[in-house]
Amino acid sequence: MMTATLPPPPLRLDQKRIALAFLLAALVLVIFRPALPAGLIRLPEGLILPFADWINATFAFARDELGLMTVTRAFSDMVEACLDVTANLLYGKSRWPYVGPIPWAVIAATAGMAGYALGGARLALLAGGTFVWIAVMGQWKWAMETLSVIVVAVPFSVVFGLLMGTLAWRSRLAERILNPILNIAQSLPHFAYMIPVVVFIGVGPKAGAIVTIIFSVPPMIRMTLLGLRGVSPEIIESGKMSGTTRLQLMTRVRLPAARTEILIGVNQVIMQSLAMVVLASFIGMPGLGQKLLQLLQALKIGLSVEIGITIVLLAIVLDRMSKAWAVKQPEHATGPWLYRHRLLLIWLGLVALGFVLAWVHPYFSEVGRKQALSMAEPVDAAVGVLIEMISPVTDWLRWFLITWVLIPLRDAFLWLPTTAVLLALAGIGWRVGGLRSALVCLAFALPIALSGWWDRAMITVYTVFVSVALALILGVPLGLLGAVNEARSRRFLLVCDTFQTFPSFIYLIPVIMLFGVNDVAVIAAVVVFATVPIVRYTIEGLRGIPPEIVESAQMSGASPMQLLRHVKLPLAVPTLVVGANQSIMFSLFMVIIAAFIGTQDLGQEMQRALSSTDVGKGLVLGFAVAFMGLLADHLLLKWAHGRGVALRSS
Amino acid sequence: MQKLTGLLLGAATLALAAPVLAEDSSDPIIIPTHNWSSQIVMSNVVGQMFEGMGNSVEYVSTDSQAVYEAIRLGDATLELEVWEGAFGKSFNAALEKGGIEDVATHQAITREDWWYPMWTKEACPGLPDWQALNDCAAKFATPETGEKGRFLGGPVDWLKHDAEKVDALGMNFTVVNAGSAAALWAEIAAAEKDKTPIVVFNWTPNFAEAVWPGEFVNFPAWEAGCDTDPAKGPIPDKTFDCGNPANGYLKIAAWDGMKDKWPKAYAALQKVNFTNAQIAEMAKLVDVDGMEPEDAAAEWMQANEAVWKPWTE
Amino acid sequence: MTASEVVISCRNVWKVFGDYPDRLRLTPDTTMDELRATSHIAAVRNVSLDIRRGEMLVVMGLSGSGKSTLVRCLARLLDITSGTVEVEGRDIGKLTEPQLIELRRKKMGMVFQSFGLLPHRTALENVAFPLEMRGQDRASRIARAREVLELVGLKGREGYFPRELSGGQQQRVGIARSLAVEPDIWFLDEPFSALDPLIRREMQDEFLRLKGMLAKTIVFITHDFDEALRLADRIAIMKDGAVEQIDTPDRIVMAPATPYVAKFTESIDRARVIHAGALALPVDGRPVEGDPLPAGETLHALARRIVGDSRVLIPLSTQGRISGLLDRKAALDLLLGPAT
Repeated sequence: MMTATLPPPPLRLDQKRIALAFLLAALVLVIFRPALPAGLIRLPEGLILPFADWINATFAFARDELGLMTVTRAFSDMVEACLDVTANLLYGKSRWPYVGPIPWAVIAATAGMAGYALGGARLALLAGGTFVWIAVMGQWKWAMETLSVIVVAVPFSVVFGLLMGTLAWRSRLAERILNPILNIAQSLPHFAYMIPVVVFIGVGPKAGAIVTIIFSVPPMIRMTLLGLRGVSPEIIESGKMSGTTRLQLMTRVRLPAARTEILIGVNQVIMQSLAMVVLASFIGMPGLGQKLLQLLQALKIGLSVEIGITIVLLAIVLDRMSKAWAVKQPEHATGPWLYRHRLLLIWLGLVALGFVLAWVHPYFSEVGRKQALSMAEPVDAAVGVLIEMISPVTDWLRWFLITWVLIPLRDAFLWLPTTAVLLALAGIGWRVGGLRSALVCLAFALPIALSGWWDRAMITVYTVFVSVALALILGVPLGLLGAVNEARSRRFLLVCDTFQTFPSFIYLIPVIMLFGVNDVAVIAAVVVFATVPIVRYTIEGLRGIPPEIVESAQMSGASPMQLLRHVKLPLAVPTLVVGANQSIMFSLFMVIIAAFIGTQDLGQEMQRALSSTDVGKGLVLGFAVAFMGLLADHLLLKWAHGRGVALRSS
Repeated sequence: MQKLTGLLLGAATLALAAPVLAEDSSDPIIIPTHNWSSQIVMSNVVGQMFEGMGNSVEYVSTDSQAVYEAIRLGDATLELEVWEGAFGKSFNAALEKGGIEDVATHQAITREDWWYPMWTKEACPGLPDWQALNDCAAKFATPETGEKGRFLGGPVDWLKHDAEKVDALGMNFTVVNAGSAAALWAEIAAAEKDKTPIVVFNWTPNFAEAVWPGEFVNFPAWEAGCDTDPAKGPIPDKTFDCGNPANGYLKIAAWDGMKDKWPKAYAALQKVNFTNAQIAEMAKLVDVDGMEPEDAAAEWMQANEAVWKPWTE
Repeated sequence: MTASEVVISCRNVWKVFGDYPDRLRLTPDTTMDELRATSHIAAVRNVSLDIRRGEMLVVMGLSGSGKSTLVRCLARLLDITSGTVEVEGRDIGKLTEPQLIELRRKKMGMVFQSFGLLPHRTALENVAFPLEMRGQDRASRIARAREVLELVGLKGREGYFPRELSGGQQQRVGIARSLAVEPDIWFLDEPFSALDPLIRREMQDEFLRLKGMLAKTIVFITHDFDEALRLADRIAIMKDGAVEQIDTPDRIVMAPATPYVAKFTESIDRARVIHAGALALPVDGRPVEGDPLPAGETLHALARRIVGDSRVLIPLSTQGRISGLLDRKAALDLLLGPAT
């Protein structure tokens, strides 16, 4: 289509031919499917490997023979001791040190002051305002339950990340081992982490904290490694020449000099923790997530929007504050002691004021449910009216999509012979990146076939395929609309951020209300989530085009449409592909969560594995999802990279 | 040394006197909550009752199958709704492993099975017989199930074996699992508008009986072992060729350390006993009246002081 | 302290980068091409040199000539591939890690091209850092750091972070830090090349002032020939990792050992480099008339007096004694170019 206007990327002829041969072979298998022996349509039973049993045996061995249970229990006790302290301070759980709860007015003042110190008045307003909102909306206890876990999980993650990042930095071998593990870990669906945690730790806040720690460590490892690598060699040499020992060099030179990267790592840990801590409600983590889960089960949209807003606000505040901290450079202080410590003094003053207010009137200590504001009723009413109004449309849409699009597509995906899919993937891999990519594709796809979950995986693939296709159809025009000028793109990107930080399972509520329990609802929920990266990357791809190119095209007399079709879109394609890639990742995560609507895919099995705490099955399913994501990631990024190089060199 | 002996003696006396003197531990009693309303409200009722007795209580939301493992390990303290049909298996497995005990049985009789609202009978007059249902399977067809009828099951973590039942009895139905109980009610409400025939998973005691009158489908009667032994039930070579128990128990389970750690609470728990009507009422407060579970529990307790007060004495 | 005591001594030092440098058999005749064939690169090739106490050796060469690598070998920031480096008679290649740390804490200081300051510490804390590393107590190290900062002219800026200082000021902090432990040996790796020309000049003057105040053995790396000539006692010129010539500035200019060095010195204003003493002829009984000129000054500095002088042979004096005679014609040739 649009690629026709560009010279084809340089490809070796034989690479093209081999790829074509593979694709033709796949086509032959598809055409002659009715005549194929069953063993080629689906792998024969004998070839299906009992991965789950192996994993379960390994886990059982580790737990019973190696005594891993004692270790994990000891670790979880340690985490629990920390959790007890924060839980007592933040929401007055009756544990040592028995001093809490701290009145909300004090915490809001502290947050505001921290915001001011890090990023000035606007951040102060945002941070303080967020906590005031939480308090007056009557969500204080839930939010503090959530925060009490984050406050504990983040430092643990940061310390583990620093240690493992340092290890990977010191030893090539450790890095080589860690790298693929991190790749897989970052594409495993959230639920895959939860099952082993339930087995080893149990349920409740400590399990929530531990799953959050595990989930948020990978970016910290990456950023630590990046930071340590990036320290200027002269700084290290100057440290050595100052006579540092190895340990001193690490703690006083390398790590402080890598401060910015490490703090960006901390930022990512915080954001990951927040995302996980909401989902961890599935394994008994109390707080905002659990409330949201209950509301989801009761399909109450109004209250869940209130909680969603709280989570988004918290995410924005934590994100802005930790980013401001990362960017902030030290400044020298001058003036008398009082002036230099003015922020500290103002903070102390505000804290004192908060305590006094709380003592004068209990409203400033805790807002009771009866006193709390709520906008749930009007929201519920509005949504009800809306659904009533558009239900003829949605009913038709549901019927149309199911009968004419979804069911035929799903059946087609299931109809495809496994062998043909494998061959086609190898062919595409070969076309994109030669033998190596072909092997990578097979290495990801073959285990899925061997695991025996092929049919379920194909349903997941079909859901993701439809969702991403719809997301492209919706997202690219939206992106074009958003990229018109600077101000509008900023607004669009802000909306994207909000949609992305909104806890994913809030989206399940309106889609169930609109479409009921079926694939349309699932796909609608996934599309909402999957459109966000498409819009974002379309805007970024278009705004990233060098102005000289646009100007030269305008001077050649191109009309705005021609400019878009022949110049802007082709140049934006590599960026757009990166967006599509992220869209696939988001879809995969969301499809798994959409099991709560009711699906027939890997997600439903994952939910079942979570209920029966079947670690082996859960991990096999998790790996299947991760491998699908990594496969798409490999192909798309490889292609986008080649394309980008070709564009730059031409 | 003397001091130590003294301490030991003191401790021994305390231990001996325990049955009479023991106070409940100040550690919180951990009550698990699940994904249906009556259980959440009942948990809050009993929790608030314990709090009234001076105990501290914490609620954790857990998976309804995994909870028995958690109770065995002491991570959760008790479970107020052990449904025979849904959780009998997990509960029995946990009993065998030890660490959990069967504390009491509610007066309420439970039944969980395929269920339809009354208007469905007009489209399929042979109901509640399961063969009649199977004959009009096409009436229950939806776009996604094609020719076959749709049976809307509960969330997969309830492990209802509906697909096995369909297979064993050779029924012309496809099982679609709703992700939550609320999704079930949403579907029934949607069907009510134009009186579409619908067959879903439902149970009693439940508020739904009050809102939508309906009946359970009559499958071949349950007999013990029908779920494990192919020989039991009408079809010789299949398991699950029967309905769920028609008058199942509803039990209370607890961690076996509870009676030592919180003896008073344990004594009260032994007396806890709800009826079908009470349980349906609790569910209704949340599902129909839209109250928060905490508030629903408080309201129920205010209205029914005569029921629960004696348990605490 | 004798002037001739050797402080740093290198013998046949090689530093080869590549996959397996230890497996190579290196001889003085090994060529770059041979190494390249095994995909190795020699950054330092068979370097032998001695640096005496109190001497200032300037190592110069174009970028990539191996001068920075050489100085890192001298400080054992890099382990050499073959040869020996001795500091005060001890082979530093054989020092254990604690011994090496001890050596750096007591004897060595180093200044870096892009300063190598710790971004998270104030100027004062940066200067105090080496003292902190060797375990000095807080009060005394702060006092010492203040003292050194004052010495480099940064009084009043103690609380500033590196980011808040100009390039010249940052390098002053770097210099102060390297001097804080009062090292005997001072390495400076292109300390002024990241600075603007004006600041560079100012810093060179500052450096000469410090050098005059402190008696130290100095190894100074630069790619700026003018800078080398201005500062050096001796100059080592490097090319492709090897030392082409090591000699006094006058000798480098007047008697280049290789065509490379000759080419290097071609465009230099020799009069600014060559000292009168370098042209001195022995007295050998010839008559010594009138006032002598100082032998230690460059011809450029003496130009006015040489041009105005009428003697054929002008006597030169070193430390108040007549050390030789300057052939006025030869001096004028150098100053004005050979007569046509």
